[in-house]
Amino acid sequence: MDLTWTPDELAFRDEVRNFVQMNLPADLREKTFAHQRMKREDYVRWHQILAKKGWGAPTWAKEYGGTGWSTLQRLIFEIETFKGGAPRLIPFGLSMIGPVLMKFGTKAQKDYYLPRIITLEDWWCQGYSEPGSGSDLASLKTRAEIVGDEFVINGQKTWTTLAHHAHHMFCLVRTDPDAKAQRGISMVLIDMRQPGVTVRPIKTLDGSAEVNEVWLENVKAPVANLVGELNAGWTIAKYLLGHERTGIAGLGHCHRELAILKSLAERTMAGSESLSLDIRVRDNINRIEAQVRALEMLLLRVAADSSAEPGPKASILKIRGSEIQQDLARLQMQVVGADSWPYDPEWMFAESAYYGPSPAFSAAASAGYFDMRKTSIYGGTNEVQKGIIAKHIIGV
Amino acid sequence: MDFSYSQEQRMLADSLRRLMTENWTFAQRRARQKSQRLDQQAWQSLSELGVAGLMVPEAFGGFGETPATMLAVHQELGRGLVSEPVIASAVMAVTLLGKSANDGLKAKWLDLHAQGEAILTIAWQESGERYSIRSLCTHAMRSEDEYVLDGRKTLVWHGAAAQALIVSALLDGEMALFMVERSAHGVSMTDYPTFDGGRAATISFDGVAVQGDQLIAKGREAEELMTLALDFGITALCAQACGAMEYLTETTIQYLKTRKQFGQPLANFQALQHRMGDMLIQQEMALSMTYVAAMGLAETNSAERSRLVSMTKVEVAAAARIVGETAVQLHGGMGVTDELEVGDYFKRLTFTDLLLGDTNYHLQRMQDVAA
Repeated sequence: MDLTWTPDELAFRDEVRNFVQMNLPADLREKTFAHQRMKREDYVRWHQILAKKGWGAPTWAKEYGGTGWSTLQRLIFEIETFKGGAPRLIPFGLSMIGPVLMKFGTKAQKDYYLPRIITLEDWWCQGYSEPGSGSDLASLKTRAEIVGDEFVINGQKTWTTLAHHAHHMFCLVRTDPDAKAQRGISMVLIDMRQPGVTVRPIKTLDGSAEVNEVWLENVKAPVANLVGELNAGWTIAKYLLGHERTGIAGLGHCHRELAILKSLAERTMAGSESLSLDIRVRDNINRIEAQVRALEMLLLRVAADSSAEPGPKASILKIRGSEIQQDLARLQMQVVGADSWPYDPEWMFAESAYYGPSPAFSAAASAGYFDMRKTSIYGGTNEVQKGIIAKHIIGV
Repeated sequence: MDFSYSQEQRMLADSLRRLMTENWTFAQRRARQKSQRLDQQAWQSLSELGVAGLMVPEAFGGFGETPATMLAVHQELGRGLVSEPVIASAVMAVTLLGKSANDGLKAKWLDLHAQGEAILTIAWQESGERYSIRSLCTHAMRSEDEYVLDGRKTLVWHGAAAQALIVSALLDGEMALFMVERSAHGVSMTDYPTFDGGRAATISFDGVAVQGDQLIAKGREAEELMTLALDFGITALCAQACGAMEYLTETTIQYLKTRKQFGQPLANFQALQHRMGDMLIQQEMALSMTYVAAMGLAETNSAERSRLVSMTKVEVAAAARIVGETAVQLHGGMGVTDELEVGDYFKRLTFTDLLLGDTNYHLQRMQDVAA
């Protein structure tokens, strides 16, 4: 065991840090630190800046146009880009369907779709949950029937993040209604730009609408859009969720929000003193910083341990990552104090006038707290994750 | 000590429960929020049941009720998620004014208030001062037989709905409280929504002339009135949180009994049963704690009163967070949408900590008043 960063790793960190400083547009950085909403073009802009540098797919192997970085380098990249104020990379292509296609896709699928993910030319969304199938995903009901050389798909998906921006959906469908729950499921790639696809936004606690309901009525997909084998979708779905869970630890997010928390405490006044001098506030900040460091080390250990596929330990990351993200948001709200009580969802947009009582930098603190409640629910609730730990690690 | 409601208290609580069930439904509450201003009819219906006059002394046309009755009433209002200015006006402003020695102002405002025809609120917070009641940039200057007020107050609860404001200001180096009509020359206001669907305002005072008889109190007396109003307000806030927790727990249990996953109701899963148990534990502890605060309001020793109220605020805020967060979690994805009332209750419970002094403030106050 050697618990030191090598000169190469440190040099890489500086390289990424400098790149972000030099190339991230200032307006995006400002939006990030003010917790303002990103637009579709904002994400595309950042993706393309990275793609131009050759960093568009930080987690992919070189043969697919990725960087070929080690897990350690990927992590350094995530932390440094988040800390520098970059928008998050849209995960549906890069971390979800991309790796799935590499493992299960046909050559044609890989050749066509993978390059378009790197530049965000194709925006993907995830067709997993349904109104009646949340934690019990395998009970999903969306049907796909093969008619000629096409799938004809009917059903309803929900919690589909950023589906209103998406060109394609990777969708879990039931292809064998007579088989037992997990056995009759397949994964199909669906073009969202066709009649029969209806996207309705779902407003969430913070007044935003990033998630959607998606209705599929006689939607068509060529049989060539099947991923892997027919009725083998459950294995693929689980593979993907395992990938999602390492990303879902949100380590970069945690580092950035910790920095924002510290800055809020310094800039918030309690009479003649900065709130960062308050011992009760300081204790909380120090404690959460310790937790972020532990999470980082856990992520490094898990990544190093399961180099190919993230094992059930990813569930530990998901649970603690989501809890720490929630605590950071709560502490930000508590630091802002009663000034986080006024809230108009319009204040989250850079274009809108802010007329709240406090300095504008603290306007969104309560929205962040409400929004972060989702983290212990999405990607498999924390209760489901604990079940996975019990079953696959403890073995009960 | 007697924990059972008197016949009058039972009738009042029952009538309020009915009013809430009929007129404070999810849809009705949302519609009122959207209109962005006080629904006079809703306020009248609360007044008719005695809510506006509850804490007004009998000599001024009210009921002069005890803290115990106030607790019972606010528990029901919390269940119904009332966002009308009951705490700001009918509890805090009325208590402050009612305990003051300014009989002229009492005669003018309290009777009107008891009839539901006046709304008052206290403007005491200032930007950058957190929860302090004593650090004041707003100041008053004496000029012959009147005072001139300059300064700015933030987070004035229901500022836009109030006809008159009780404003704290620095006068000759000490705190003074003035009654200022909102229509007075030099008063300007920025009204904003709050995350719980209510309203608050930043109010500026620019050379506002106030007649000498509008001074409510000054010096130590002003500080004591302000603290007393806060202590009553906090107790009512905690009682509302208890009512909201009770309703939210019931709704959550109902949801888990209905929602099926893995071929059975979610309520069958032991992990979730324990979470429901946790909610009930918190709810019962919070209500018991709030009884302590209501008991404390009768304390003649104001330091001891404030200590009991502060400990209640700390504990009830913690319980409110656990119950609110757990309810959202147990509702799964639906819990984080804006489409169920669970979110509205969660948000309301969240402000239990942020308003009227947060946990850190009250832990410090417990320390300070004990010293």
